[in-house]
Amino acid sequence: MSALLDVSGLSVARGGARVVHDVDLSVAPGEVVALLGPNGAGKSTLLECLGGVAPAAAGSVSRHGRVATVLQAPGLARRTVRANVELALAWWGVPRPGRRTRAMEALEQMSAAHLAARPSAALSGGERRRVHVARGVACRPDVLLLDEPFAGLDGETHQSLVEDTSSALRDASGAVVVVVHDRADAWALADRVVVLTEGRVVADGPPRDLLAAPPTAQVARFLGYDGHLAESGGSLLTRPAHVRVSADGALAGRVVRVVGTEDGVLLDVEVADGRLRCRDAGEWRVGDGVRLDVAGGVSYDVEGRRRTGRH
Amino acid sequence: MSFFLEGLRQAWQEITTPGSGIWQVVRVTLQVAGVSTLAGLVIGLPIGVALGIGRFRGRGALLVLANAGLGLPPVLVGVVLTLLFFPEAPLGFLRLGFSLKGVYVAQTVLAVPVVVALTASAIRDLPVGLLDQGRAFGASRLALGVLAVREARIGILAATIAAIGGGLSEVGAVVLVGGNVVGYDQTLASAALQRVGAGDYAGAMAVGILLLALILLVVAALTWLQYAGRRGPRATVRAS
Repeated sequence: MSALLDVSGLSVARGGARVVHDVDLSVAPGEVVALLGPNGAGKSTLLECLGGVAPAAAGSVSRHGRVATVLQAPGLARRTVRANVELALAWWGVPRPGRRTRAMEALEQMSAAHLAARPSAALSGGERRRVHVARGVACRPDVLLLDEPFAGLDGETHQSLVEDTSSALRDASGAVVVVVHDRADAWALADRVVVLTEGRVVADGPPRDLLAAPPTAQVARFLGYDGHLAESGGSLLTRPAHVRVSADGALAGRVVRVVGTEDGVLLDVEVADGRLRCRDAGEWRVGDGVRLDVAGGVSYDVEGRRRTGRH
Repeated sequence: MSFFLEGLRQAWQEITTPGSGIWQVVRVTLQVAGVSTLAGLVIGLPIGVALGIGRFRGRGALLVLANAGLGLPPVLVGVVLTLLFFPEAPLGFLRLGFSLKGVYVAQTVLAVPVVVALTASAIRDLPVGLLDQGRAFGASRLALGVLAVREARIGILAATIAAIGGGLSEVGAVVLVGGNVVGYDQTLASAALQRVGAGDYAGAMAVGILLLALILLVVAALTWLQYAGRRGPRATVRAS
């Protein structure tokens, strides 16, 4: 099926400086793509350009169908929630008779139907974001662009909104591009993750594949590979899932940091060839000796390129 | 204190005495304030909306100009318009000098910057992202303008109150352009000025009291209108 969004050699400038460089991207119908990257990576700028809000400095964006952008700030008009969604539909060009039904459907998809008659001023932060996303869902665009729809929410509200948004986006027939800051959001929402750093696409693929084998050490660190062991000609990067505390483990080390978590502790352990991070349910203190087993991880050469073959 | 009491007594007498002429002055005052505020809104509102929502080169300079207009000296406006309305002057053909229409024009010139500056400011204070979101969903300029006016209505009514307050109490431009002709274009404020000039301080106080009462009445009505939509069950804002 032909792509709904085709981006070729795209560069975008902001305040005279280029913040997005030479991006190639293609989004197919039904695909949910997460743009992931650290602060200042150019994710929102790229999204604005995809939506036609910001101009391209170079390259091209081909949109095959209508594109709706849900901006980061959930600016709602001083009226009821349903009226806000209907207003978005009016902007989108939906004739008046169909607006109410579509607005209610979108609110139901976002588990916000019970808020329909409530004035926007009476909504909590999470509810505002829910209604904000519902406006985009109600428009039923060919391509829906969402800019950090979960920013600034507490953990529980965040999680619940991610789950509802994930369901709503799966129900949508068009393509979705969503900017997220949190890796977990990308895994929850997307079929495909595009990692941006310093305005460049540094990784692009299904979430599971990307996490299993990040193409570069830089991407690996961004995706949570926070342990490293020096190897000949490079290093092995690991995630906590790759490292296990074991009484007869192959590596001896010393605990240098202990962070409490819901299910135990997160340990930073200095070993002879590096520093590893792992989870454990036991009680640990800084300075304790520990033995570790490493099962997994990805090897990179000195320039940070992935080496073929897993550790 | 005796001036004040005498003023009150005289005000009551003028109000209750048929043919005292005070009601004609009240009518002219309301007419001047009403026409100039209406004209100020018709001209100033679209400009204020454009400055509030627009993104164009020179917008900042125009905002500075509008804000500077808030401090426009009425006497200067009066002098400039009087000169322009002289029969041989560029606008002399309009025959607006020493006429009620000329007073309307002078007051409108003073009202427009008030409406422009306060409207633009009210629109710029709208929740972050609301208008941008409208643009992102393909809203037309007209739709954005209507939304902006609706959302900023409290600020726009504040601009209206400021403009009508100026129209009711302004005296410099009215006297210079209209000539302060009794029974024709004299307003309460210019009548007070004339009575002070004639040494009739109690009479000036009487007119001043009437003017103050009129301002209170009009502003109270507009303030009621300003917050009418906000009555009813108070909205509760929750934390999360």
